[in-house]
Amino acid sequence: MTPSRRERGSNEEMGHNQPLYANHLKIYHYQHGNHFLAAMSSVVESICTGIFLEDAEILKQEACAGDQFLLCLKAPECARYARPGSFVHLQCDPRLPMRRPLSLMRASPRDNRIELLYKAVGKGTRLLALRQPGERISLLGPIGRPFQPHPEHPRPLLIGGGVGIPPMIFLADALRSDRRFRPFAVLGSEVPFPFQPRPSQYLVPGLPPQVIAAMPLLDDWGIPNRLTSLSDFPGCFRGYVTDLARKWLEGLDKSARAEVEVFACGPHAMLEAVATLARELGLPCQVSLEEFMACAVGGCAGCVVQVRTKQGPAMQRVCVDGPIFDACAIFG
Amino acid sequence: MNDPRLVIDFCGLRFDTPLVLLSGCVGFGAEYTRVKGFSNRDAGALCLKGTTLEPRLGNPPHRICETASGMLNAIGLQNPGVDHVVEQILPTLDFTETRFIANVSGTTVEEYYEVTRRFDDSPIDAIEINISCPNVKAGGVAFGNDRKLSAQVVAACRAATTKPLITKLSPNQTDIAANARACLEAGSDAFAVINTLMGMAIDSEARTPVIGNNQGGLSGPAIKPIALLKVHQVYQVCREHGVPIIGQGGVAGAEDALEFLITGASAVGIGTALFYDPLLLPAVNQGICAYLDRHGLINVGQLTGSLRLHPSPIDSAEDTCPERARPGTAVPKH
Ligand SMILES: Cc1cc2nc3c(=O)[nH]c(=O)nc-3n(C[C@H](O)[C@H](O)[C@H](O)COP(=O)(O)OP(=O)(O)OC[C@H]3O[C@@H](n4cnc5c(N)ncnc54)[C@H](O)[C@@H]3O)c2cc1C
Ligand SMILES: Cc1cc2nc3c(=O)[nH]c(=O)nc-3n(C[C@H](O)[C@H](O)[C@H](O)COP(=O)(O)O)c2cc1C
Ligand code: FES
Repeated sequence: MTPSRRERGSNEEMGHNQPLYANHLKIYHYQHGNHFLAAMSSVVESICTGIFLEDAEILKQEACAGDQFLLCLKAPECARYARPGSFVHLQCDPRLPMRRPLSLMRASPRDNRIELLYKAVGKGTRLLALRQPGERISLLGPIGRPFQPHPEHPRPLLIGGGVGIPPMIFLADALRSDRRFRPFAVLGSEVPFPFQPRPSQYLVPGLPPQVIAAMPLLDDWGIPNRLTSLSDFPGCFRGYVTDLARKWLEGLDKSARAEVEVFACGPHAMLEAVATLARELGLPCQVSLEEFMACAVGGCAGCVVQVRTKQGPAMQRVCVDGPIFDACAIFG
Repeated sequence: MNDPRLVIDFCGLRFDTPLVLLSGCVGFGAEYTRVKGFSNRDAGALCLKGTTLEPRLGNPPHRICETASGMLNAIGLQNPGVDHVVEQILPTLDFTETRFIANVSGTTVEEYYEVTRRFDDSPIDAIEINISCPNVKAGGVAFGNDRKLSAQVVAACRAATTKPLITKLSPNQTDIAANARACLEAGSDAFAVINTLMGMAIDSEARTPVIGNNQGGLSGPAIKPIALLKVHQVYQVCREHGVPIIGQGGVAGAEDALEFLITGASAVGIGTALFYDPLLLPAVNQGICAYLDRHGLINVGQLTGSLRLHPSPIDSAEDTCPERARPGTAVPKH
């Protein structure tokens, strides 16, 4: 079932070479924050690292297709403590009264670097796109409860849509150095991908033979992946990410399929479709949610989503109770 | 913060600095302490999230949105209920850090009474009454918009506690000074001026309000000029009684804080500005100290109400000299 693989981790562009979540960090149990909602919910044990305010130097700002931008920042503390699913709260421009949340795509503690990928969609992200290397940006991070892959489910299925791709890259980066996991990724975009797709070096059973386009970085990391779009991009699957994911899942035998855990980030409608697919096949599924944020540290309750708990509905904060949630609690 | 120049006495409570962390912006006191470098000790007091008798889920999203120089919020008083706050949260707070102030909310006068009574029987240092909540028995009009209802709420809370009672006045009314007078007579020991101003933001593509609750409270630098005027007006009532005011609304730096103090505030609240700069408190404290040095003052209390008004009246929200407001007429120099 498993595609042939090259030696893992040969591409060390950012120097990631640590086992999953091995950031020897000071993890402490996040007690007080839970009180905020405790009466209404049984918040699963929240683990949080401290949050740092850093004046991050812009190392690189690269325009990609589809109004997307790759931003590299020097932010040592954030780079050190970030985990897949973490985000930062950025001052895009001093003229704006509020910060903007963006997910981390990569973090390299060795180089003190973090990478973000964002799409210029409104006031804040457009102003961010004008910022130049050498300038400084205030960021607050890393924030949020990360994705939590379970070794009982050694076949993580990573699904990223649009600017939901970045946290999937971070997760892939963490998984590739942990030999217990054999991930597969499906990435979708309606604008050209923010990288140059190329034919994958991996054969993946269950997929149409003409669907060969892959993200080079993941491919080099030894993580088989495929691209999807409703637009007619060469080598990409024409359809939704969930259509291709289903084909991959159906190509697995029953016992292999039971080993799958789904991780997804992207537009709300995509997450809902992913959650439906996971539920249908009885697979665990973690999704990364977005909501407007003010403080991003749990203080204002401005960023809540409604979550189902054993005690009934609860409102939980996307910033610190999330942004990663169990899909069942959100989409029921 | 440990600088004797900043220490004030607020209703018999020692505030190490005149800065107060505002209700709804700092959760129940622990949230911001996860930001490295942040300390509750840099504030003289911290107001906990608005608390009701029963737990509340609050409003649907979106609960907040950015506006020009500020933001709208409609959280809907999400909180775990007063019993949970008193029994589960207060015991986890370190009362040596700062003074902790409860923020009491309700939909009936009885609820305000009951919540206050339960806080009275707790280690909380003081009680702030958020009278800007809708009165369910009067079709949802906020108590704080009506002088008589405001006074009723204050009287009920007064009967329930001997702790310092701070009434948080709403700017969404025509005569805030008259309201303050009524609340003073009903037993308020201090005032917080101002709460948010009601506003709306529209998503023109969707043709819907941005905020799930349709409307929300405006805060941040956008409301500072209004807040300063309201503090000025309430101070005229408070001055002779020695009743202190926590001035608030758009404070984002030392300069703003000084303006509120000079206008008549004894303490200054900071809320929305934290969202932009979580580590702002030390700089504000230092900025106030630098000002005191520059002006040869030994304590921040000397600034309160030190405003020197121009000879023309400014007590009214409107220009009292219409001919002066007419375009083309020369504006006399003071
Ligand atoms: C945890 C998290 C991670 C995110 N990661 C990424 C990412 O990696 N790449 C990326 O391109 N985008 C990401 N987003 C979405 C990004 O935050 C918004 O696109 C951005 O805030 C839009 O700001 P704007 O001023 O350009 O747009 P405007 O529409 O002008 O924004 C107006 C206001 O609404 C808020 N807002 C609008 N859309 C969103 C949204 N989807 N989520 C949160 N707030 C919003 C803005 O923050 C701002 O306060 C993430 C959001 C969250 C919550
Ligand atoms: C997100 C948010 C939640 C708030 N919640 C409360 C509340 O529960 N009770 C209350 O009395 N005031 C509440 N307020 C008002 C603030 O305490 C403060 O009075 C107001 O925001 C003005 O100050 P600022 O401009 O410094 O934020 C809230 C404000 C914000 C922004
Ligand atoms: S943004 Fe303030 S609690 Fe999440």
